Amino acid sequence: MLGFLTARRAGLDDPLRLRRAESTRRVLGLQLNPDRDVDRIHGNGINAIDIEAVEGRYMLSGGADGVIVIYDLENFSGKLQYTCKAVCTIGRSSRYVHKFSVETVQWYPYDTGMFVSSSFDKTMKVWDTETLKPAEVFQFEGNVYCHHLSPIARKHSLIAVGTTNPKIQLCDLKSGSRIHILQGHRAEVLSVRWSPRYEHILATASADSKVKVWDVRRASGSLFTLDQHNGDKSKASSEAVNTAHNGRVNGLCFTGDGLYLLTTGTDDRMRLWNSATGENTLVNYGKVCNESRKRLQFTVSRGCSPEFVFVPCGSSVAVYTLHTGELVTMLRGHYNNVDCCEFHPDYQEVYSGGKDCNILAWVPVLRPSGVEEDSDHEVKGAAGQSSVNPAFQDAWSSDED
Amino acid sequence: MSRKRALISDAFNLKKRRNGTEQFGATAAEEGPADIKSSLEYLMTLFPRKLFNDALPQIVLKHQLYSIHSDRTLVDKELNKMRERGDLLMFQLGFDAEAFGLVFTSDYKAKVLVGEEGKTTQTTVERFLEKVVTVCTDLSFTKDKMLKEFLFTDSEITQLVKSGVLTVRDAGSWWLSIPNSGKFTKYFIKGRKAVLNMVKKSKYGEVLKAEIEERRTNSQVKFHMKYHIHDIVGAELVESIPTTSGTLLRFVDS
Repeated sequence: MLGFLTARRAGLDDPLRLRRAESTRRVLGLQLNPDRDVDRIHGNGINAIDIEAVEGRYMLSGGADGVIVIYDLENFSGKLQYTCKAVCTIGRSSRYVHKFSVETVQWYPYDTGMFVSSSFDKTMKVWDTETLKPAEVFQFEGNVYCHHLSPIARKHSLIAVGTTNPKIQLCDLKSGSRIHILQGHRAEVLSVRWSPRYEHILATASADSKVKVWDVRRASGSLFTLDQHNGDKSKASSEAVNTAHNGRVNGLCFTGDGLYLLTTGTDDRMRLWNSATGENTLVNYGKVCNESRKRLQFTVSRGCSPEFVFVPCGSSVAVYTLHTGELVTMLRGHYNNVDCCEFHPDYQEVYSGGKDCNILAWVPVLRPSGVEEDSDHEVKGAAGQSSVNPAFQDAWSSDED
Repeated sequence: MSRKRALISDAFNLKKRRNGTEQFGATAAEEGPADIKSSLEYLMTLFPRKLFNDALPQIVLKHQLYSIHSDRTLVDKELNKMRERGDLLMFQLGFDAEAFGLVFTSDYKAKVLVGEEGKTTQTTVERFLEKVVTVCTDLSFTKDKMLKEFLFTDSEITQLVKSGVLTVRDAGSWWLSIPNSGKFTKYFIKGRKAVLNMVKKSKYGEVLKAEIEERRTNSQVKFHMKYHIHDIVGAELVESIPTTSGTLLRFVDS
């Protein structure tokens, strides 16, 4: 570590290298921290969480009871023990609350003045954070499984919506129109994701085992469909041609740079694809337990080398290395199934929510706290359990004067 | 789960250790691919040849290798290299979409030719082995391909299916297969179920690997216990947990 610091200071190393090495070290040290808690507001399972991109301070969560909560993640109290408080809630008593479970929530990518939520009550609501009232309500014919706003879009403000209808609807935030439809899937669309690299590229995953990549400017259908056998028609039975998985595909995630796409399916597999060519990179992650009937929200770390994937796997979160497929560790702590997890890139923390109504914060723990009682001398860097660093304690003055 | 030693990324290894790991890494890289071949050969020795009266070549399943080597992607890449070189053949065994059988090409050819001695289909099968198996690494063939690329006639295809080298996949396409492998599949599935039941019925649904290898097998299990254990560990039907008394196999309820 000191080697990295001196190399950076001397200009031998790129500053990014030190940052990446430290981020990776922090991600490897993720543990359930007894000091960090998230306020427990939901009375039912938590289906989706989202951390805003601008400051990384506020987190949205959507629950199975239709309740939406906003938490403040910043710790200004000065104490180690901190509970992330709920700033405001759209609870069951609100007039505009969703009638059934909220499946997806997302902050508006450019500021926290607005957020969008979609739910099984067949609506998608665009909320004003100040007044907690919906500014716009989009009505659909089927349950809405997921929606996504492009995080980098400048030229358009489209929300891609996946519902039980095989057609993907694009709703325009600016005009409120929803005439743009993407046709091609044959069963319900479980997950949609915009590429973080190109603002017009959209990936969609459906229960018909296919994942399609679209350019929304094109009139004539998808760019390509992901094929798990890379065109090698001999490997599978003939019905499984051109499918991304051997079951429903229920999770999609682009890596931070948008070059790779990860998909998870109910065949208990996770696959990594080259997002430009649609080629299966054939990285073998082993069995990634997946029994979700709805969308599975998983994330990839950003700013580390190698990158890590955090996938909810039963009642724990599995951490895999992105390009080698090695299982690094399992984060255990939830009492019931985990439904969603989100990575906080600035602090390398992971927040996960599940059916046990808890959102758990996994915080990097680097130095063991207070292991030996008689080593008070080397306490200079240690973050001990006590709130006062013993190095600042007054060991000088005596009580006699 | 508290861990005594924290995970540490490669970048933070101390210099001494880094030199050590470099050397180790270099030899491991050389050993790695060679290692996979030797684990394949080891697994092949576990295959019971007497059971089938030596009529079948030694078959190993691809996921059995995952139980020996932890890096699955590396295993996959190595196997693909061997298949492209023509040393190894892969078959879709039929009972599971993900279960692939591996046979050394030389073994396969030898056994098939021995089996074809004196039969009317002998010449066609010989031609098939020469022209198709040596050249093409596919697992299955469509009618178009057989007729146009390899110039086999319909009646010749029927002969190949009769001899067992091709199995029907669906209308107009066939899997490459091992003749007389039906017995293998039957015993294998029965044995796998029996071994899984043994693990499941143990107290707490878990058993030490060393202990189950020593257990008396009932009549359902015809293969070597180790063969089945590599199979269930590699297919992730049981979890393999390292403990102080050895490896523990815990039944996975899915």
